[in-house]
Amino acid sequence: MNSREKQVIFGCLTTRLLVSLLFPSLQQQLDKAVEFSTPVTSFRSLQEGVFLLQNDLPVYNGGVVHHLPLLVALMSVVTKDSLISLLYAGIDAVIAYQLMLMSKQFSAQLKMPNWIPGALYAANPLVLLSCVSRSTVTFTNLAISTALLAALQGNVFLASVSIAVAGYLSFYASFLAIPMLFILKRGRLQSVITIIISLSLYLLASYKINNENWNFLRSTYGVVVTFSRLIPNLGLWWYFFIEMFEFFIPFFKAVFNIFAISFITPFSIRFYKQPFYAFILCLGWVTLTKPYPTLGDGGFFLSFVPFFQPLFVYLRYSIISILLFIHAIVLAPIFYHLWIDLGSGNSNFFYAISLVYALALASVVVDLCWSMLRIEYDNGNPKLDVQLTQL
Amino acid sequence: MWLTLTHGLIFLNLFKISVQLQNIDTNSFTDIENDYKYDSVESSLRYDDDRVNIGSQGYLKPIKNEVMSDLDNNKRVGLFSMEKPTKYPFKEHLELRPLPKNSLLSSFQFHLSSNEFSIDKSDRSNNQYSHYTVFPRSISPLMDNTNTRQVHLRFTHGIWDHENWGRLPHDGRKSGGSGVELWAVIEASDHNTAFDQWVKLSNMLSGLFCASINFIDSAKTTYPMSSFQPGDGEEIPLFNASNKLYLLRGALANEPVCTENMAPFIKLLPTKGRQGISTLLDGHKIFDSQWHSLSIDVTTVCESNSCHYEMEEFINVAINVPTTLARSVRPIPKPVDGSELRCDNSKHYDAWTCFPLPESIEGKYELSKIFGKYIMGSNSLSGYPTQTCVQVSDNWKALVKVDGSYFSTDNNCFDVKGEDWHDIYLETDDTTQVDPVKASPVYVTRSLTGYSQDKGGLRAVFKNPTSEPVELVYFESLPWYMNLYLSTLKIESKSGLKISDVIQSTYYLPAKDRERPTHLEYRMTIPANSTFALSYQFDKSLLKYAEYPPDANHGFEIESAVVTVISPVKYEFRTATLLLTLSTPDFSMPYNVIILTSTAMGFIFGTLFNMLVKRVVTVQEADKAMTATGLRGRFLVIKEKLVKMFKRPKPKSE
Repeated sequence: MNSREKQVIFGCLTTRLLVSLLFPSLQQQLDKAVEFSTPVTSFRSLQEGVFLLQNDLPVYNGGVVHHLPLLVALMSVVTKDSLISLLYAGIDAVIAYQLMLMSKQFSAQLKMPNWIPGALYAANPLVLLSCVSRSTVTFTNLAISTALLAALQGNVFLASVSIAVAGYLSFYASFLAIPMLFILKRGRLQSVITIIISLSLYLLASYKINNENWNFLRSTYGVVVTFSRLIPNLGLWWYFFIEMFEFFIPFFKAVFNIFAISFITPFSIRFYKQPFYAFILCLGWVTLTKPYPTLGDGGFFLSFVPFFQPLFVYLRYSIISILLFIHAIVLAPIFYHLWIDLGSGNSNFFYAISLVYALALASVVVDLCWSMLRIEYDNGNPKLDVQLTQL
Repeated sequence: MWLTLTHGLIFLNLFKISVQLQNIDTNSFTDIENDYKYDSVESSLRYDDDRVNIGSQGYLKPIKNEVMSDLDNNKRVGLFSMEKPTKYPFKEHLELRPLPKNSLLSSFQFHLSSNEFSIDKSDRSNNQYSHYTVFPRSISPLMDNTNTRQVHLRFTHGIWDHENWGRLPHDGRKSGGSGVELWAVIEASDHNTAFDQWVKLSNMLSGLFCASINFIDSAKTTYPMSSFQPGDGEEIPLFNASNKLYLLRGALANEPVCTENMAPFIKLLPTKGRQGISTLLDGHKIFDSQWHSLSIDVTTVCESNSCHYEMEEFINVAINVPTTLARSVRPIPKPVDGSELRCDNSKHYDAWTCFPLPESIEGKYELSKIFGKYIMGSNSLSGYPTQTCVQVSDNWKALVKVDGSYFSTDNNCFDVKGEDWHDIYLETDDTTQVDPVKASPVYVTRSLTGYSQDKGGLRAVFKNPTSEPVELVYFESLPWYMNLYLSTLKIESKSGLKISDVIQSTYYLPAKDRERPTHLEYRMTIPANSTFALSYQFDKSLLKYAEYPPDANHGFEIESAVVTVISPVKYEFRTATLLLTLSTPDFSMPYNVIILTSTAMGFIFGTLFNMLVKRVVTVQEADKAMTATGLRGRFLVIKEKLVKMFKRPKPKSE
């Protein structure tokens, strides 16, 4: 760890703790903001779960708790407010450090100092606010980045166990196991077995913790997969299912779920020579298609974009992507406020923003995908004067 | 001749006397005969607007005498001190009570009981005859078919002024929350059967009372744990020892209560609104009141193997006297004539200016002016005369008016006798002085907090003005689209009370979307002379497009919380209902949303799919390939041929 890295980690820790300390009500404000909190990731419902657990009340028999039992059990141990702040800030610092370690792996290709991705992550306002809001997305992100780093370093066991944690915490993150297997150069079978065993172990432990009751599956994965909590968020699904005719809803639930998994394997296969980048594209795809996305997910995905630095020359509509992101991030709270609080706008305002956000993410994924194809065609040496098309 | 006219117990709550009538051997033939006679009398009774005294027709007397003599022959052992023995298990009673602020509480009370039947199913099916004397025919099948042992139905509307009027009539046992409230004790082998019976019961009641009770589905049904419990010493029989009893409860907040609900109420009475105090029940007057509550309680009472149903039908009305009297004078609201204005002459006063005097504290009115009708004689069905009691303080005069002459009694209770029309006359020099009301032991008000349509809070203020602690059960059933965060429960109190000081135990069953409501019951102790507020937060969820009712922006009614005071007195009351506004989607958008979302998804999918499956080539290569194979290439070839065909070879220019 060089001094730059130390500075980045220190900066990451202090900004988060400082923001929590200076604006004590910010956590609750953000936790209520639709951009940073969804029913499945909000800290409020996590606290509710802890409360119910501690008072021997049913945690998963209906109600608002959609967090996994192990997470609720973990948070019931960490109850002190300052400790929770420290925990979240610490996790973010670890992720920043892992990003820097990853960039070390690619230092030959990347024409930038290793600490840049970590610094960008630490400075990313979306990640910062998501961390301050104590969204449980942070835990999933840690599991994903640990798995990715371990896979890059060839640590099969740690990678498998971590991706299983990610999949356990957030159903759609389990898709990332496929591109991760492509990153591993050996021990793929071993990895698959480890993932399955560790995932079953987590579920079994949850079952034990939850008074030997499987009902948590319905309130956690069930809610995510069937999208039964119709609460506005940045995803594509919520308004669709509110407006959809009852008869077609099961069909479209299947369509959306297939849509979410559709590009995972194709990306992994098409870019099998660059499995790390395939992983990031898959991460982008999951961020785009998962039913309860937050800006924390988006920020985490965008933190990986610096790794595409050699391809930046190929990006065709980076300006449009940036503008779309700014458009969505600035207008989302305004339009939501207009609709929900003031009543002077209606639901279409916020729906339009969720479409814009989806397009912003999609434009990034599409652009990165194109530049991947381009660099492949150019064999690693950008020839910018050649005009390419597809046939 | 042996007759079975009355069996079992009659509920006489007001006299606090339980009356056990001697069970007489059954002779079904004469019983039917007697029923028949009764029916013929009943059908020949006439009610007309000319107010012909029905007594003059003299139909009732012979029957009455005959029945009486039959009973006398049996040498019944009378367990109560009344001049005449009961003929039919029916009793009616009207209680009037002037309330502060010039209101009048009228409490119509009807007690009925059914014939005995056997618990044994086989006995009942063998018995081909089902006898209904005064007990309404529609109720017994309803109880039998659904295995219901107790059913309680309330239609309530209006505001009961707790601060001024004190406790609710009958200690709140006979009034529900605003709208319709239903709870029942159902005997069933398991939970699901009980629920099925409950749905059946609510559907039957819905048809019977012309109300939307059938909308009580699983998302509105709760299984109360410590509220709505049967009274002390009240035993609910089990017909089959292997079954269990289930208490189910549902409410429809702010269901409009209206004449069409009261007409079936009156029809259930044997007097059908044509005799006795039920003649006063006029929908226009009842529903024009400040507060009214219609209640029906049917209970099963068993002694060893033989049982009967008991029914109490109460109608309580709090009427504002001056407005009601004014309306009878001026049915169409018009400005009062200048000469009738009561002006304060000590202030400036002319044809244009009038400072009104406070309302006169003198009051005199007749019941017929309030209800627009008279008590048309005593009911001729039971030996208990129709009784009317007025509960007033000494500065009031209460008189009964029969045939133009006024009578008074010591206890202000008047028996309505014979077929004469009766009227009650009340007079006082000071309407503010009434028989002192019993103050409510505790006050609870509940309100919604927050302004946004995606989240909010509930805040209940508990106030105990008395000098002894009050123990109570606070029951709340909230719809599933309010996602409650119990961890946000907070207490606000000036005296620094903590949650553990007031809440002894909690029962909490969180809501399941579209399946069941949040069910919350607190057993609490409110310390003496204290006020505190409990509050918690909730999220509002969006509903599906078709789940919104018409006029979705009006909001959703949240049923009242039920407060059951256990000590120092038994008392029960409800908070007001709440109006919750949910965010709504744009109802004109379904196609647009489907199209726009699908387009975005299709666009993203198509672009990526093309990228992944297509070959990357240079533009020049692509053009060439297109020329060779594509449609454009063929078109070029054809074009070339055509050009050749029509183009004359040019003469070579030299």
